[in-house]
Amino acid sequence: MKTIKEQTVDPFTLEIVKDSLVAIGEEMFHTLARTSMSPVIYEVLDYASGLTDAKGQLLTQGNGVTGFIGMLTFMVKETLEKFEGDLKPGDIIIINDSYGGGGSHLSDVGFVMPIFVDGELVAFAANKAHWTDVGGKDPGSFSNDATEIYQEGLQLPCVKLYEGGKLNQAVIDMIEANVRFPDLSLGDLWAQVAAIRTGDKRVRELCEKNGTETVKTAIENYLDHGEQMARKELAKLPKGEFFAEDFIDDDGFGNGPFNVRVKVTITDDKFICDFRGTHPQVPGPVNVTYTGLVSAVRTVFLAITNPSQDVNDGVFRPLEIITDPASILSAERPAPVSVYWESMQAGADVVMQALAPHLPDRLPAGQLLSVCAVTIAGKHHVNGEPFLIVEPSAGGWGAARGQDGARGQFCIGDGETYNVPVEVAETRYGVMIDEYSLRTDGMGAGEYIGGAGVIRSYRAMTDGQTVSATFGRNKFHPWGLNGGEKGSPNEFIIEKKDGTTDGPFGMYPRYPLNTGDVVKLMTATGGGYGDPLKRPADQVARDVKNGYMTAVQAEEKYGVKVNPKTYEVEGVTGKREA
Amino acid sequence: MRVATDIGGTFTDLVYVDGEGNVGVAKSPTTPPNFEQGVIDVIRKSGVDPESIQTFIHGTTVIINALTERKGVKTGLITTAGFRDVLEIARGNRPDLFNLRYKKPEPFVERYLRQEVTERMNQLGEEIVPLDEDRIKELVDYFKKEEVDAIAVAYLHAYKNPAHEIRTVELINELWPEAAVTASHEVTKEWREYERTNTAVLNSYVKPIASSYIDRLNARLSELGTGDLRYIMQSNGGTTTFEQAKKTPINMVESGPVAGIYGAAYLGEILGEKNIIAFDIGGTTAKCSLIVEGEVKVSTDYYIEKDEYNAGYPIKTPVVDIVEIGNGGGSIAWIDEGGALKVGPQSAGSVPGPVAYGQGGTEPTTTDANLLTGRLSPKNFDYNVDMAKVEEAIKTKVADRFEMKPEDGALGIIRIANSNMLNALKLISVRKGYDPRDFTLVAFGGGGSMHAPALARELGVRKVVVPVASPVFSAWGMLMTDLRHDYIQTYIARVNGLDLDGFNKEWDELARMATAQFAEENIEKENIRFMRFADMRYAGQEHTVKVPLASGPVTPESLTQLIADFHELHEKNYTFKLEEAETEIVNLHLTAFGSVEKPALKKLQLKGGTAKDALKEKRPVYYEQDGWVDTVVYNRSKLEPGMAFSGPAVIEEQAAVTVIYPDQKASIDEYGNLIIETEVR
Repeated sequence: MKTIKEQTVDPFTLEIVKDSLVAIGEEMFHTLARTSMSPVIYEVLDYASGLTDAKGQLLTQGNGVTGFIGMLTFMVKETLEKFEGDLKPGDIIIINDSYGGGGSHLSDVGFVMPIFVDGELVAFAANKAHWTDVGGKDPGSFSNDATEIYQEGLQLPCVKLYEGGKLNQAVIDMIEANVRFPDLSLGDLWAQVAAIRTGDKRVRELCEKNGTETVKTAIENYLDHGEQMARKELAKLPKGEFFAEDFIDDDGFGNGPFNVRVKVTITDDKFICDFRGTHPQVPGPVNVTYTGLVSAVRTVFLAITNPSQDVNDGVFRPLEIITDPASILSAERPAPVSVYWESMQAGADVVMQALAPHLPDRLPAGQLLSVCAVTIAGKHHVNGEPFLIVEPSAGGWGAARGQDGARGQFCIGDGETYNVPVEVAETRYGVMIDEYSLRTDGMGAGEYIGGAGVIRSYRAMTDGQTVSATFGRNKFHPWGLNGGEKGSPNEFIIEKKDGTTDGPFGMYPRYPLNTGDVVKLMTATGGGYGDPLKRPADQVARDVKNGYMTAVQAEEKYGVKVNPKTYEVEGVTGKREA
Repeated sequence: MRVATDIGGTFTDLVYVDGEGNVGVAKSPTTPPNFEQGVIDVIRKSGVDPESIQTFIHGTTVIINALTERKGVKTGLITTAGFRDVLEIARGNRPDLFNLRYKKPEPFVERYLRQEVTERMNQLGEEIVPLDEDRIKELVDYFKKEEVDAIAVAYLHAYKNPAHEIRTVELINELWPEAAVTASHEVTKEWREYERTNTAVLNSYVKPIASSYIDRLNARLSELGTGDLRYIMQSNGGTTTFEQAKKTPINMVESGPVAGIYGAAYLGEILGEKNIIAFDIGGTTAKCSLIVEGEVKVSTDYYIEKDEYNAGYPIKTPVVDIVEIGNGGGSIAWIDEGGALKVGPQSAGSVPGPVAYGQGGTEPTTTDANLLTGRLSPKNFDYNVDMAKVEEAIKTKVADRFEMKPEDGALGIIRIANSNMLNALKLISVRKGYDPRDFTLVAFGGGGSMHAPALARELGVRKVVVPVASPVFSAWGMLMTDLRHDYIQTYIARVNGLDLDGFNKEWDELARMATAQFAEENIEKENIRFMRFADMRYAGQEHTVKVPLASGPVTPESLTQLIADFHELHEKNYTFKLEEAETEIVNLHLTAFGSVEKPALKKLQLKGGTAKDALKEKRPVYYEQDGWVDTVVYNRSKLEPGMAFSGPAVIEEQAAVTVIYPDQKASIDEYGNLIIETEVR
């Protein structure tokens, strides 16, 4: 597919310009982490940044979380639609509209900047980051009992923050008046502006050095290269139609379960995910918009086609996604979307379920899937100051052909996400942590076993604390693959100081905790892969010795009799012999 | 006489400096697994009289090899009840975002050897639950039965109050003196339990290996009759004694590489250059580090086996900040499925090595490309180079794919390799807010001088220094080191309302520990020098900034200065400051130097030769802009101080080549260093 332009620029210059574009994306990403004031950005890396071409096609994206892949494109496309012919150098657009260019929840605020060289629009720089607060009914803004988008925070519907380099102070003033921690949120705003401007500056430098035409050629070439790589992988995939259906637990208001279904059609040049027949949008905030769904499916598409290559929009050219209007996967205004990841990941998960049996070298069995978000608010026991924990939970991943599932890892929608160390949490927050351990319940049996979930127990050190948690996959457990058994649910219980317990729960808004009360968070053990009876007996004995399963489970599920004291194999049951 | 030996992947290098400041070098093959043999070999080969060696300084890869090859010992771990899985859960992150079969780094201690004991401190260091001493006895029996050789002990908040860890180690030592034991507070006093636990585990895992290696080397040196001042290079850019190195071998992970960085800083001081980019290219990797105002940056954010796809393993000991990429002389050029040329990170290594080595290598490497473009000469090789084979490999594997001449394919390989290295150099400079025009590039390692002039031009650096002994510069750097120990203590406190007495007591305690340590190492008090830093942040933030603190008791005035300096440094590092916000101290960091006597560098004597006398030949060299240019080739050993010439030129020395571009100017300074002025303004 050589173009005429390509022949005028040598291939190594093109390669070096491409590398520079990727490096610019990385620099923008690190600038944001370096300048942000919010832990959710610089610790959890809950943000993305990158470049698109002049049409909004993604060129390079630095991600902390997989869930953001491709969302930048939609922000730029909305900007192009809304401001067609009205973009000029120095403009910066702010946007968090979930239904249009945003895609996730209002907490994720995006910025778009057109990059001009000699009056010509060459590219866009864009980023999107989770702000600590954007207003709304609850601190932290996203809320698992919101019923309308208006309760979830301030909406920024693709408006110009800078016009030709001049700040629109009115937007700043409105944000300042509408959020709970204006210093933090505006601090993040300035960090995002700084990062996006770095992208603008570097792309202009790149054009000056190599010539704008060369850069434009390199961009086209890069997108084509991405497409080529994806098509090569696509050619290797099994062709045909693949189906799966699963369920989202509930919406926090007693409604549910909600079905999610997909038909995946793979042809020589297309990869079509048809979600029609999925449940309509629901009253609780577990809806996701079409843009969010696309991001989730892109994650799986990348996992299948090229997990380690450069990622750009060329890669996604063969991908098509079809939904009914206003479904739980394509929600429309004003459906609430606070905990959108539940349906977003459910969308990704059914695609995996449909294809995993056929692609065991790329896809594992089912995993915790939910972000398992936890919010604890209260007062610190030493300094009396208010504190707020907002964090995802690590859990178990599914096993795959040739490997046991990962134990204690954040879900597919997260990624380069870090837990908060116990010692840091006990210093900063009004809690003690009684336990941070693997949940070795022995579920997810298989030739390769599902990865253990995690137990994390917070003990309140002051009265009047509240805990909110959204743990999906509470009623429908992670699935096993090719004969492997399913895993265990995500759930949490309250152990009160007086010895009584409450729960287990999957979703609960603002459960009250007093001094000495414990919330015990338990995430899922992933699904297993293959027939448990095929797991080597000495490996099973080792698993018992390591406490990943009990001797009873070893005998019942794996047909191996293990001495519970010496951990030696004492024999096998009839099941295994047969 | 001071002698430094540095064990590398292929060669063990030796550099010595005698009482008059004369420098000499030698090289001998590295001899795994008995690395000490290579050290003895190279001493013999150098012709140095062993009995004249007063000071022996050693850089070793024994520790990093034991870690990466998993050749350590079976290790058990004791943790606070409820937390034995911290080592396996780690931080839960997954850098390879779209690989759903990502494999977490496997912990160095399997679960059945991770055991718990009832005990608990809180975040203030207060004992909440006493230590269950009987349980320690049970665990010692258990570990004996499981035949472990080493034990790590890591309790929550031990950085704040190590009493339970200390008692546990005492009990183990009483019950089982043969076991190698490490308590987490002995290797790091920073918070974050996973990182501290892992550091303690890795220390125990290599402790017996380190002890036996150091003991063997020590015995061999004594047999030779060398003097008893024997030091080992640590990752923090300073040395320590053999005895101390056996206790905390984990401090030697980057033993060799950091010496070159330290050497670059030391050379800069002599040359009056305070801002330096140190740049080292070896066979498989390129390493770079930024030196600002003469200061080698040290941090505890170090990992092994971490890259863009793997989370790796943290080691919370002080290590010189180095960025390393998989691009060296042996890096393989290849074409990806989409038809793009890539170089590295796979390397041909030393066996089979580049095609040029004629040892069976078939894949074109950067070295082969440098040969085909005339930058390297087949005559200046240790191997018999078959140029036809080199050309054939580049032609068929690269040039033909783009329908171009072999030399253009070779130049493509060099340009892509340079682009990779340029990105690493930008990462430590431009992207940290520094302007490369304010820096001098010091290039060393076998390939450093080859690529540095081209990279300097691209990066915008004005001046490049290729030091004397550049191929063995790490060993040279070791010669110039002092003893050094870093003490980092997590100490969380708001600066506003700080308890000054308590604060000063903490510093005094750190100084006392350093002084006691140096006393054991026979360093006189007057030769001890301290530098103090506070790791600070805005309250509520996570990331910290290292802020220097003047010596002497801390007063309200010096605190005010500390805050002012913090704001300024924060702005430099993170682009903003918040003068209204509360500031918080996270760690106290005391760096203690034990100075040892070092000979002054000797200026070279003029022998009255001219540049012409140093001329070796003229040969065609292929340049990016100018194509084939007939280029003069100089013999470095015949170049004398004061000589100057313009590019294009090639300068050859044993095991290294410098390529000077048209428009660049080169000269030799009074010490024999090669100075290149780029055309950058």
